[in-house]
This record gives sequence, C-alpha cells and structure tokens, in this order.
Amino acid sequence: MTVLKVEQVSRTFPARHGNAPTRALEPTDLTIGNNDFVTILGPSGCGKSTLLRIVAGLDRPTSGRVTLDGREVTGPGADRGMVFQSYTLFPWLTVRENIAFGLRERGVPEGERNKVADAFIRRVGLSGFENHWPKQLSGGMQQRTAIARALANDPKILLLDEPFGALDNQTRALMQEMLLGIWERDQKTVLFVTHDIEEAIFLGSRVIVMSARPGRIKAEIGVDLPHPRSYKIKTTPEFVQLKERLVEEIRTEALKVAEHA
Amino acid sequence: MRPLDSVTSKQRVAYGLAFFVLFVALWSWATFGGHVSKTFLANPLTMVQEGYDLLVKQGFVFDIGMTIWRVVGGFALATIIAVPLGVLMGAYKPIEAFLEPFVSFARYLPASAFIPLLILWAGIGELQKLLVIFIGSVFQVMLMVAVTVGATRRDLVEAAYTLGASDRGIIRRVLLPSSAPEIAEILRLVLGWAWTYVIVAELIGSSSGIGHMITDSQALLNTGQIIFGIIVIGLIGLLSDFMFKAFNAWLFPWRLA
Repeated sequence: MTVLKVEQVSRTFPARHGNAPTRALEPTDLTIGNNDFVTILGPSGCGKSTLLRIVAGLDRPTSGRVTLDGREVTGPGADRGMVFQSYTLFPWLTVRENIAFGLRERGVPEGERNKVADAFIRRVGLSGFENHWPKQLSGGMQQRTAIARALANDPKILLLDEPFGALDNQTRALMQEMLLGIWERDQKTVLFVTHDIEEAIFLGSRVIVMSARPGRIKAEIGVDLPHPRSYKIKTTPEFVQLKERLVEEIRTEALKVAEHA
Repeated sequence: MRPLDSVTSKQRVAYGLAFFVLFVALWSWATFGGHVSKTFLANPLTMVQEGYDLLVKQGFVFDIGMTIWRVVGGFALATIIAVPLGVLMGAYKPIEAFLEPFVSFARYLPASAFIPLLILWAGIGELQKLLVIFIGSVFQVMLMVAVTVGATRRDLVEAAYTLGASDRGIIRRVLLPSSAPEIAEILRLVLGWAWTYVIVAELIGSSSGIGHMITDSQALLNTGQIIFGIIVIGLIGLLSDFMFKAFNAWLFPWRLA
C-alpha cells in the first residue's frame, strides 16, 4: 500500500536583485492513495511543477512536509520515479543502458538488468531500438524510454512533469494511451502534472486544479469514466462536460496570470 | 559562396592543400628570385637538403624522439594531477572555492619564466624539461576541466538522483561520462600549448631535442636547418592532433550518432 501525504507544504523563493520574495506555493494538502492516478492541472506559473519537485525531493518545502508511507521525504530517491518535460536520457548510454541505470546503481547483476530492461523496452514499444543512442531517437521515443527508465526501478510512485509537453499532438495522444495502458495493466500510483485539460481528464482518476499566483489547490474533480479508456472517450458527452467545467476553472486562472504579466 | 554553406570533403582537402602550395610558392619566389638574402632565409630546396642531412648524418631522429618524450612525459604528469583535481573542483563547490583563486592566478604565470628557477632547482636534466611543461599545462587543464564538469546539465543530475544514484554514483556515472568528451578536447588543446613550452625549455640549457638543434643552427646561421626543425614540429603537432581527434571519435561514438 502506497500513501503519499502532502501536509501544509509551501514554497517561497527568496528575494533576489531587490525583488520581493516569490510565493510559488501556498500551504497545500494532498493525499494520494494506492494505485491512484492523480493529475494536477494548472496554467504555467501556478506552482504545480514546484509541488512535484518537492515530492520528488529535488526541492525543499519552505514549510510543511511530504511523507511517503509515513516516512518523511528529505531528498530524491528511487522510491519516487520521475519523468521530466525536458529530454533527460543520458546521451552516452544506449536505450537499454538508460533503462537499466537505476538497477545498475542498486547493484543488480548485468544479466538480470538486461532482462528487466528488455521487458520494459517491449512494454513501451521500442523493440529493435535497444542499442540506439538517445540522439538517434525522436522526441516521443525518448520520452517512452524515460518512462521505461523510471518504471524499471519499480518506484512506489511515478511522478511526471508535463512529460508530453514538447511533443506534437498526434504523438502526445499515442503516448497518453500507452501510459494509461501501462497503468491499467500494472496498477501504479501516479502523480501527473500538465496544463492540458484533455490530457488531465483522459489520464486521471482525479483532477486537481491549481490556481495561479499564489499557487494553491482550487478544486478537486473526480473523473468517473470507466476503464479501460480508449481515445474515443474524448468525444463522449461525459468527457465533454468535464472538459467544459475545467475550461472555466482554468480560464479564470489564466486570465489572472495574463493580467499580472 | 554563401554564408554557412557546406563544402564536400574532397573540396575541403583541395582547398587546404592549395594554401600549402601557395605558401611554398611565395617562399620560393622570395628566395629563388633573390628578393631575400640567403643569410636570412634559406630556399625550400636547401631546407630539404639540410633536413635530409640532419636526419641521416646528424642523428636528428634522436632529437625528435627526446622532444616527443618530454612533451608526452610532462603532459602526462600534468594530466594525472590536473584531471582528478579539476573533476573534484567541478563537482564540489567548497573545493572549487578553495583552489580556484590560486589556480586562476597560477595559470597566468608564464611557464618559460620559470626556466631559470627550475634550472636552479632541478638542474638542466630531463626533470627540469618535464617540469616546464608540467607548470605550463597543469593549471590550465585543472581550470578548464573544473568549468566543464561544473557545467554538467542539471536535469541529467536530477534524473540520476531520482533513479536512486548516490553522490559517488553521480560523479562516476553522470559527471564523468558527460564531461569526458570535453575533457578529451581540453587535453588535445593543451597538448598543442605544451609543444611551445618544450621548445622554449630546450632553447635554454639543453643538449638534445628539436629546440636544442635550432639554437645550434642559429650559431651557424643555418636557416635551412632552423626552418626544417620548425616544420617538423608543425608536422608532429598536426599528426598528434589528428590522432587525438580520431581517438576521441572512437571513444565517444554517442556524440556523432
């Protein structure tokens, strides 16, 4: 059983060059249960990535704390796998070596490492590319490798920071289906940050809407669409209704940001 | 010609050779044409004859060997010390804060100005020659390696941390491999500089080496030999550069993929 608890977590970036300190995140509470797929939706600058980085242990909260299964998060660790928006495959490692990076760090012998890596290569549809360098892959293939790399470590929770943000629409839709397919099959606790409303609904069991400046949770909306979901669900009345509601929520926030810019 | 337009590799070779031909043609015009006195500048043919004489009769090969060994020895010594320290400086900011100001200062100390001191300390033997090259290279390499390692992509480091990498793992499996091609380039560059130091070191208080031959020839006003010596240095430099480049390409295939 995995339970992630975010308790009164806030983040203020200290003053620089005479500017006032920036409050990126108001004190925030969030609980994510076992095998939950939670999407965090908000306009840019709402602190959603900051929150995710704090959960990953890459950033420290100014106040409050994050616990995973009762243990406080004090730094990054293999129990919280992360996929970044930027392409972060190690360019000097092949696809297989990239996926096996975490296993190797843990001292898993090479034969076993490769077996696990190859299983994930098949899962994300990259068979035949085992020995390619990242430079030889398209953006979508790189992100698939990055997802496989995070999953190969068997983390308790998978954190994704707008992983499909840099991809074109068609590729993005395919990647969403692939990720959802993996989740439906293997069950995993997932926290997924995005600014794409459709993506947030299609993937999530719950959508957390964040407001901008200062960043805080504005609304939490359950998504009761049945699984397994196919791309066709995006045109059903239930989906469209949810989308309309979220468009309204996000629009007021986006306007706030635009006015302050 | 248009800005940034590429050339074929055949054209590249042809253009490159063309300049050498032009260079020799100008030189021939100046010397054979009698525009420059023989005392000051030998003509290409005399240079080739003197060079043949040097190689076959005066054991110049031994001098070339000595010079190469000094460059390689001094440079290897500098590399063994400078690369690990540079990596540590790049990885750990307190170490960088501790060493960087001094190294920045030391790197501007001209290696050739140390020659009198080094002769006093180490005599005129091989150790002194190695030390000149060592002093000339070690601080440069240290600083450049530190900058390269320090500039490692932060997102790669973060990704490694989220995959469970330890601090040692970050250095061994992220900082080092990501900086390795740059470090190899730095070594290639500084090796070029080491060649200048070795000749200067051999000009003073030496009984062998290309630099020594050049000083000897100066006393005899044999400009043919001097020019031959200089050209040999250039050729060796070109060759070592080429080998370094090929070795780097072989070592880091992921960069070219």
